[in-house]
Amino acid sequence: MEADKEELRIGVFVCRCGFNIGRVVDVPAVAEYAKTLPHVVFAEEGLYTCSSAGLDSIKKQIEKFKLNRVIVASCTPATHESLFQKTCEEAGLNKYVFEMANIREHCSWVHMHLPEEATEKAKDLIRMAVARAGHLEPQTETELNINPSTLVIGGGIAGITAAMSLARQGFQVHLVDKEAQLGGMLNRLYKLQPTEREASEVIRELVIAARANNNIHLHTSTFVHEVSGFIGNFNVTLQTNNSNQPERINVGTIIVATGAEEFKPVGMYGYKENQNVITQLEFEQLLQNGELKKPKKVVTIQCVGAREKTGRTYCSRICCQVALNNALLLKKLDPNIDVTIIFRDIQTYGENERFYKDARENSINFIRYDLNRPPKVTSRPDGSLAVTVYDIYLGAEVELESDLVVLSTPLVQNEDARKLSAILKVPLGTDGFFFEVHPKLRPVDFASEGIYVCGTAHGPKNIVESLAQAYATASKASIPMAAEKIKAGAVKASVNQEICVNCDACVVSCVFNAIEASPFGLPKIIEANCKGCGVCASECPMGAMQLIHFKDDQIIAAIEALFNSEKRTEPDESFKPVILCFACQWCSYAAADLAGVSRIQYPPNVRVLRVPCSGRVDVLHVLKAFQSGADGVIITGCLIGDCHYVDGNVKAKDRVDLMKKSLGFLGIDPKRLEIGFASSSEGRKFATMMTDFVKEIEKLGPSPSRPKRGGEKFVQDNNKT
Amino acid sequence: MAPHINLFEFSAKEVAAKTKPGQFVVLRIDEDGERIPLTIADANAEKGTISLACHEVGKTTTQLGKLKEGDSILDLLGPLGNPARIEKFGTVICIGGGVMVAPLHFQAKAFREAGNYVIGIVGATTKDHLIFLDEMGRTCNELCVATDDGTKGYKGLDFLTDLIAKRKVDRVVAEGPIVMMKAVSDITRQNGIPTLVNLIPIMVDGMGMCGACRVTVGGKVLFACVDGLEFDGHQVDFDELLSRLKMYTDQEKLAYVFWEKGGRN
Repeated sequence: MEADKEELRIGVFVCRCGFNIGRVVDVPAVAEYAKTLPHVVFAEEGLYTCSSAGLDSIKKQIEKFKLNRVIVASCTPATHESLFQKTCEEAGLNKYVFEMANIREHCSWVHMHLPEEATEKAKDLIRMAVARAGHLEPQTETELNINPSTLVIGGGIAGITAAMSLARQGFQVHLVDKEAQLGGMLNRLYKLQPTEREASEVIRELVIAARANNNIHLHTSTFVHEVSGFIGNFNVTLQTNNSNQPERINVGTIIVATGAEEFKPVGMYGYKENQNVITQLEFEQLLQNGELKKPKKVVTIQCVGAREKTGRTYCSRICCQVALNNALLLKKLDPNIDVTIIFRDIQTYGENERFYKDARENSINFIRYDLNRPPKVTSRPDGSLAVTVYDIYLGAEVELESDLVVLSTPLVQNEDARKLSAILKVPLGTDGFFFEVHPKLRPVDFASEGIYVCGTAHGPKNIVESLAQAYATASKASIPMAAEKIKAGAVKASVNQEICVNCDACVVSCVFNAIEASPFGLPKIIEANCKGCGVCASECPMGAMQLIHFKDDQIIAAIEALFNSEKRTEPDESFKPVILCFACQWCSYAAADLAGVSRIQYPPNVRVLRVPCSGRVDVLHVLKAFQSGADGVIITGCLIGDCHYVDGNVKAKDRVDLMKKSLGFLGIDPKRLEIGFASSSEGRKFATMMTDFVKEIEKLGPSPSRPKRGGEKFVQDNNKT
Repeated sequence: MAPHINLFEFSAKEVAAKTKPGQFVVLRIDEDGERIPLTIADANAEKGTISLACHEVGKTTTQLGKLKEGDSILDLLGPLGNPARIEKFGTVICIGGGVMVAPLHFQAKAFREAGNYVIGIVGATTKDHLIFLDEMGRTCNELCVATDDGTKGYKGLDFLTDLIAKRKVDRVVAEGPIVMMKAVSDITRQNGIPTLVNLIPIMVDGMGMCGACRVTVGGKVLFACVDGLEFDGHQVDFDELLSRLKMYTDQEKLAYVFWEKGGRN
């Protein structure tokens, strides 16, 4: 804030990038133009600004002209921003006073045949950067200490594996399990394929190794009662059964490995009514305890209570393998046992396909049933069971005699995990399982930094997959713990107490638990949890909440600079729309970059303004753009479901839908505002969105809010109330 | 009274004659304005006036703040809601936060008149936002002050735990931000002290018709306007309430911008 008081001395370095920019954009003219902008005391062109000669020049000019803001107009910040920031730091400037204008990916590469327009656009982008730079402030980055210890919740195979992996690296691990005995589900399983080793034996070895490891502190018969704090410094209260004294520990990271339960299909297929109708797990326990009365005819029914229309809509992944495995074990017990599997679809993906082949070769019968005509199980007077099923391939109903019916039911989340989700403030998906922050990019992470999930707590999976996730979480948790410190970027929420009205809209809007409400409503920002999306700032009704480095005044300065040009008056003959595109710094900005890299051409009317997340775009920013004379505004974000901040793009969409309803009051056609989504691989889609939007705006004509020629200010149309 | 907090006295004879502490009114400033519920901060049957305190947080409240003495508003409906239960309980803690200290003072006065020993707690985020300190000081037998940032009085609400441990408290009445009422209820739950919170969620008609103000109390869905405003703090689902309250933040912001910039509603 104090920066406003010092005299602004801005330096602009325009890069030719060899031919890449220089062949299309008139770089010398752009550099000359930059010199005319307010507060610019130095501007030059360079052949390659990122070369050592180019970087040296930046450093030299910072010193010579006492520059306190630096702008490089060249390529995408995604690849070169950090290099130029480092150069500024070497010259004694704070890296947060550096700004980039992307005149390659967003300009010369996408308007290759329109040198005049591209040059105009480059000037616009630089004018926006200069205006924004004037409002930038030096920032300090804070460091957080990381307690090199982990809490692993759940002592099944996933939890023990994660714990062992970390303990072997020298980290302290608190391993908590609600049961008196470690091992989880594997204690209750029979034999594992392909080795046919006893599951209990496998887990026993692991448990012994865990007990023997001095870095692992076991807490059995124990629940996690309370968790507060953030990455590096979680305060955890543990409650052990039969103990009044809760135990308090401090850890740096948390791994959730609470496993899952088998669904008990009460009321389906005579389960719990006839003792010879049992689930796969109960069947394995009979085998494990040697209590199985040797059956003659066994029928297995698949997808019982799974892949339903509502509720448990998911495929439980493991049941087909389990059913085949157990069927083969029965055949091994006695080849004369008649085994039939009634299925909807057999899903033995990858290597597991061979068990299906084995089963076929071992005379196991398969009958495919129709979802609309599911099998029926009835008890006969003699105690045996009759299973009637409509065989899709036969086209007829078949009745099977059976003395044991085994139901393959899905894994479901357990009740304790629901409580844990509330305690850790991490989400469950619609299927009830723990929900990772990003299915592809961060598959074992929660949005809350320092908390990870592995194993069946995250969804049904087999042992191999659970182990892979367990190692992944151990690896993820070890990153901050090995570093012992993490540097927190300065792009964080910040609240101005003076104007805050304590409504706590920010508290509710934050998905990262980074804002806590004090008792009388004062929002308290937990910087370690803040990811810098800026959604809270856009939700704040008072403008009291701001995102550092993307404050309202910084964004609005760029918007105003774009439109405050003498040329942006009423068009005379040819109408060239000027369109502002807000792009989130993740997918949609990358998509725009990719359009450039792929040389996909689109109309030169679009000016991209980078924001951290589409959810940062405030209604004020959009209104400001229209007030300043924008012909169109398009907000772009990651694909729905892929937002790097959970659901910032959904919030942006809601906001756009709402604004479309209101823009009419200002005399602005709602079609002038649009929102689009693109993944970072969808350069073509980005270009198409821009092309379509420009066409739409061309149809609509110039915005009524454009300043009139001759300096007359735009007057709002007040007649439409 | 404090930055952006205003106290109004409205002349409304019929309303004033019937108002009891804990009730509210729904008002409109003009034909195009939204209807906002405000808890009554005082009533003077003789003068025929009621008092309302209001924090400028959006379009309507800011517009209200711009009114000058002698101005009038379109309509004011009330008194609505049930009066607070005022009896002789013994020792009563009246704890208020932010702007809601004003209506709480109305209740505190009634508790004192009913023969209770009243411990008043006035809280705000920071020193400058404390209101009604003098009034509460005069009305209550004892007065505590608390702020989030510790600029005056106790810092936060932790002192309440000690206070109720040391003293025999028969009833706690809380009126303020949802997070405050939640925190108070969490503290008193451990000692089992009956705790009444005053909820004023988003409302439309204020007469039990629209259901906008629904709150979950002890698993049951109730309407704040006709079942409240007073509820058992130990049973209220505060988290749900908090999320419901933020349903229209974008709309509110738009309304504010349009009103401020365009002079329209």
